[in-house]
Amino acid sequence: MQEPYVVASWPAVPVEIVRAAGFRAVMARGASDPTPAADAHLEPGIFPNRLRHLVEDALTGRLSRVARVIIPRTSDADYKCFLYLREFVRTGVATALAPVVLFDLLQSRGADVRNHDVARTRALLDTLALCSGRMPSADDLRREITRANAARAAARRLVALRHIVPRATGTDVFPLLAAFWEVDPDRYVEMASEAESRIAARPPLTGPRVLLTGAPVEGQILHEAIESHGAVVVAEVGPWGRGAAGDDVRIDDDPVAALADKYQADSIGARTPVDSLRRWTEHMLDDVDAVVVSLPPDDAVFGWDYPALRDVLKARRIPHVCLRGDQYQAPTAADHVQLGAMVSAASQMQEARRG
Amino acid sequence: MADKQLAATVAASAFQKQWFADLRRRVFDERQPYALLQADVPFELFDLVDVPAVSNQWWASIVAAKRQAPQFLDAMDADGLHGDLCRYCSLGYASTRYRSAGDAPWGGLPTPRLLCARLTCDCIHRVFELWADAFGAELFEIDHPGAGDLPPRWWELGRHRWRELVEPHRLAFVVATLEKLVERLEVISGRRLDREALRDRLEKVNQQEEIFDAVRRLIATAPECPVRMTEQITNVMATQWVRGSEWALAHARAFHDEVQQRVEAGVAACPGERVRLMWIGVGLWHDSGFYTAFESSHRAVFVWSMYLAFGPDGYIRYGLDDPMAALASRTASFNEYLHNPPWAAEWIVHQALEHRIDGALVLRPRSMKPAGTGRLFIERALEDAGIPVLPIAADVVDAREWDADGARAAVRSFLETRVLQ
Repeated sequence: MQEPYVVASWPAVPVEIVRAAGFRAVMARGASDPTPAADAHLEPGIFPNRLRHLVEDALTGRLSRVARVIIPRTSDADYKCFLYLREFVRTGVATALAPVVLFDLLQSRGADVRNHDVARTRALLDTLALCSGRMPSADDLRREITRANAARAAARRLVALRHIVPRATGTDVFPLLAAFWEVDPDRYVEMASEAESRIAARPPLTGPRVLLTGAPVEGQILHEAIESHGAVVVAEVGPWGRGAAGDDVRIDDDPVAALADKYQADSIGARTPVDSLRRWTEHMLDDVDAVVVSLPPDDAVFGWDYPALRDVLKARRIPHVCLRGDQYQAPTAADHVQLGAMVSAASQMQEARRG
Repeated sequence: MADKQLAATVAASAFQKQWFADLRRRVFDERQPYALLQADVPFELFDLVDVPAVSNQWWASIVAAKRQAPQFLDAMDADGLHGDLCRYCSLGYASTRYRSAGDAPWGGLPTPRLLCARLTCDCIHRVFELWADAFGAELFEIDHPGAGDLPPRWWELGRHRWRELVEPHRLAFVVATLEKLVERLEVISGRRLDREALRDRLEKVNQQEEIFDAVRRLIATAPECPVRMTEQITNVMATQWVRGSEWALAHARAFHDEVQQRVEAGVAACPGERVRLMWIGVGLWHDSGFYTAFESSHRAVFVWSMYLAFGPDGYIRYGLDDPMAALASRTASFNEYLHNPPWAAEWIVHQALEHRIDGALVLRPRSMKPAGTGRLFIERALEDAGIPVLPIAADVVDAREWDADGARAAVRSFLETRVLQ
């Protein structure tokens, strides 16, 4: 018996299409527990924790009843994961795995990328519709876009409560923002609005405001570590936190094209054009007192941005630390020493600014 | 490093050095544009509008072979670029960005007019953007749509039925992108791409690769390997960067003829050959002596690498009524042929059997993450085919952590315990 949900390897799959086709989306996340089945087949140091867990689930039959496993083209590791999963099925290594679908959304600025992306988004819609037996009309899609946009607006209101004078810790807000991807939009609006009222009534938090950047974080272990030193994480790069909602999807004659445009422009991952990430980061620096750069061992991409970011931070006299640990493992004692020193330096600068 | 056994190898090395000197002269003295490219970009398009092109990977291999890599890599480390970032595709960038840290070979790279890369792995966009910034030059990116359909025995389909090898939407995307690249090159060079000349060039590329195919057959079937793997690489790559040119065709023929003469005369790279080895992965550019280190002790000779074998199987395209589509079909799936399941493992096992391979050494690249994928599939497939495998952990351009003695000892042990039993 097939369950009415799809599993995606990264939040770069249009949830509006998933819902319009009659499914719920569940996003793959990492964890600190071991992945012995996946470890036998995945080369070390290449696949991030979330993909190792996805493969573990695939090889141990835990994805046998989902409608589809969707792998967006978020990173090379995701693409390789798609090819590996297909090969596991072909060779009988995975004996009970739902069909695996590649959502090949490209993000470069080439002239033909848009046509490609619209066509691939349409192909995803067709695939899911065929699977559910329910082909959504353009109105169905627009309805889902409207519902998701309402959820985006609610998420943006939560984000505003972290801005300039934060009233909630990153540890508290991050899961609320991340829930955007998986919770029904109407329910999400209720939940976020309730949280918004609760948070708005709180007094402002006075610790140094921290931007968490580098590789996108999927959980709040780093938030907890940073905030244990008295700082407040007010923004994090990636689709799970501050970037979960982004801008609304336009309501358009061609809702598939509108969705392709939105996800092409807003999906955050290893293939996001560097200049758009750089612009976002530098914009964030206006309202933070310190920066933590997370570059986990599987990072092959975001480390390239570090020297330029470091130079900007030095020029703006913003303290920062660079952490190399797995984001699903608690930071080491040495990491905490660095974080403590960074927060202390940021606090002193904060006090100096306040006179 | 072992002496060169073939006259063709000496000629190929001399050609590359002279070609680069000519390039510098054209750029500096005649202010002509040139381009810096990833190895999997279609070089033919550049050559046909008279924009000479330098391969990033070739340049990295030269820097490493000239023992200049450590200085540039140290400079990268000192600038905060962590050690898990790919060093192979970025060594060229480092030789530009940290120019004063080392002594780049042959006077170093002049400023290109254009850089161009296929976005196969995630870091290439970063590396080439940084490199373009460092030069103040333009960057053209060729995105890489993923393959959803990978039919078996790609090396057979690719020659005549290449349209079936690449899904239509991927082929259309790459064709459209290459057309945009041509538009850009025509502006840069002031010359129009002659489509007939493109067809003619691809026909010559086919001829060149057919010659390499014949060389490959000679190597596979001769009683003993007639040409060392290192010399195969030098001869093949010198021609591949200018493939389809008059020099490339002439050199490919000369290489073939010399190999054939050696086979007919019973001349072997390693007389008394006992073990035929294959090397899977990018060449170990900083220690090419590794590949001849087991000849005298164990009569073990490296017979196969992808560099010669991939030419005929990856490049030949018959049916050139639409030459741009044929070129695009070759370009679209390089990464999948060489690194990804099911294609890479299937091809390598086929090659191993054809070449009567006794043992395979598989590179475990320390920092090249995309090239590191698919490795376990390849290792398993070879072992399943009865070919013992020894993984070798190394960075192909970074000698700083390379344990040359340890690696040689591991190979000796592998030969004695698994291959020569």
